[in-house]
Amino acid sequence: MTEKNVDVSIPIGPLHPALKEPLRIKLHTEGERVVDAEVELGYMHRGIERILKGKPWNKAVYLAERVCGICSNIHCMTFIETLEKISDVEPTPRAKYLRVIVNELDRIQSHLIANVSYFLGIEHETLAMYMLDVRENSMDALEIVSGNRVHMTWNVLGGVRWDVEDHQLKMILETLDKMEPRVRRYRGMFAHGPLLQLRSKGIGVLSYEDATKVPAVGPVARGSGHPESDWRLRHPTYRDIFDFKAISRKEGDNTARVLIRFDEIFQSMDLIRDAIDNLPEGDIKNRGKVKAGEGFHSGEAPRGELKYFVKTDSAGKIDDITIRTPTRLNLESCVGYMLAGSPSIADAVAIYASIDPCIACTEG
Amino acid sequence: MITDKLKNFVRRKSFHVTYVDTGSCNGCSIEVLATICPRYDIEQYGIFVHHPNPREADVLLITGCVTEQWKTKLKELYDKVPEPKVVVAIGACACSGGIFDQEGKRTHPPLKNFIPVAAEIPGCPPRPSEILDAILGVAPIVFKDYDKKEANK
Ligand code: SF4
Repeated sequence: MTEKNVDVSIPIGPLHPALKEPLRIKLHTEGERVVDAEVELGYMHRGIERILKGKPWNKAVYLAERVCGICSNIHCMTFIETLEKISDVEPTPRAKYLRVIVNELDRIQSHLIANVSYFLGIEHETLAMYMLDVRENSMDALEIVSGNRVHMTWNVLGGVRWDVEDHQLKMILETLDKMEPRVRRYRGMFAHGPLLQLRSKGIGVLSYEDATKVPAVGPVARGSGHPESDWRLRHPTYRDIFDFKAISRKEGDNTARVLIRFDEIFQSMDLIRDAIDNLPEGDIKNRGKVKAGEGFHSGEAPRGELKYFVKTDSAGKIDDITIRTPTRLNLESCVGYMLAGSPSIADAVAIYASIDPCIACTEG
Repeated sequence: MITDKLKNFVRRKSFHVTYVDTGSCNGCSIEVLATICPRYDIEQYGIFVHHPNPREADVLLITGCVTEQWKTKLKELYDKVPEPKVVVAIGACACSGGIFDQEGKRTHPPLKNFIPVAAEIPGCPPRPSEILDAILGVAPIVFKDYDKKEANK
């Protein structure tokens, strides 16, 4: 690293009003300008990968889900899909649709809370409270389908846990109709609010080239003009049945990332409506057995690409497992490219919130 | 005495809450965040939850299963909170270690080995209404006639 003129080093955290989870960010400043940043992790390490080794797969799925409490469904889904890939089990057509419904509902609530924490980061509490209120509706919808608000264990080998009745589907559609105009209004408030834009436009820019260097994933990459970073494009159900197209923007600043999340909420709503309209009849579960083998699989979590490597033995136990979570990459692009050069320390907090960090995932 | 009565009345209706994450999966943390949303609206009970700052807290909400880093820092944190104070453990993780209390773990549950805990809310995660219920239930009991109890010690 070249010698830089650093006045003060300001530590943020591990307990800080702006942070939801404990970690330490060290900002090296020159006057009010941030010239360099470091992060210090380790407050949330629970050793999930170590606990998982040697567990039977049907016990391991509960643990895999508890890597993260905000995007718990995608962990469950990616883990089960990795096992399905290893053991050649195909989910039934109805199960594929039901998985998409729950996955997209989960994405909606996760994107909403991500934007809530961004608005709390720039101290716009009104909008944050509005959005937290809408989020409760999506939690209701999740509870209708799966019976729980956070940890649902919705996916099982070859299908889903239980069937969804018609009246429940109708309730989901009603909830979505209730939510959509409100979220559209809040998107408009953010996109056209001059004060909100003052804190967001042109702040924390991640250029197209820099996004490929780490590489950034998820809404962070799509905000910098990388639509191909969406792994739903490569997922068989999304690709073949729903003809999925990814959203992207070119600016690469805080505004772009927040707007991408807003737009993906509407996209998820359309996907859910599509899935409910065309939901096929039939079984919800295929019988199958976990075989010995190993394999990689990636899924698109709300924060980006989530990658699982799993190795199983013939008794269906987990021999080895590695989980690479999206925030691991996004945090690096945040610290390396966005925070350095941020015009003030107050903006550093907003930039950090705009990548939607999830430290519990990252540390495992 | 009149000042005691006054203090009891005021303390029942105004306290600061600080939540600390000692290695949870975030499930419990977002349920704490959900208590400030307009549906549950923790602030209408006179509870201030927004900015976690232990130095002005009355109630500490602790989630998570005490990771290696938090082992020494928990006591320090607890000492920073001014008297009178209440600790509420949220979720199966903080109560007993929950799902993370298994072979190969890197955590040191339960929380009550490190600091005194006044209430435990089981559940993985507990609902926001249960969290609200516990705070409202336990805090006034501890704060009631606090000065008299201190004087008699
Ligand atoms: S109790 Fe459950 S939801 Fe809460 S932190 Fe522990 S694993 Fe997560």
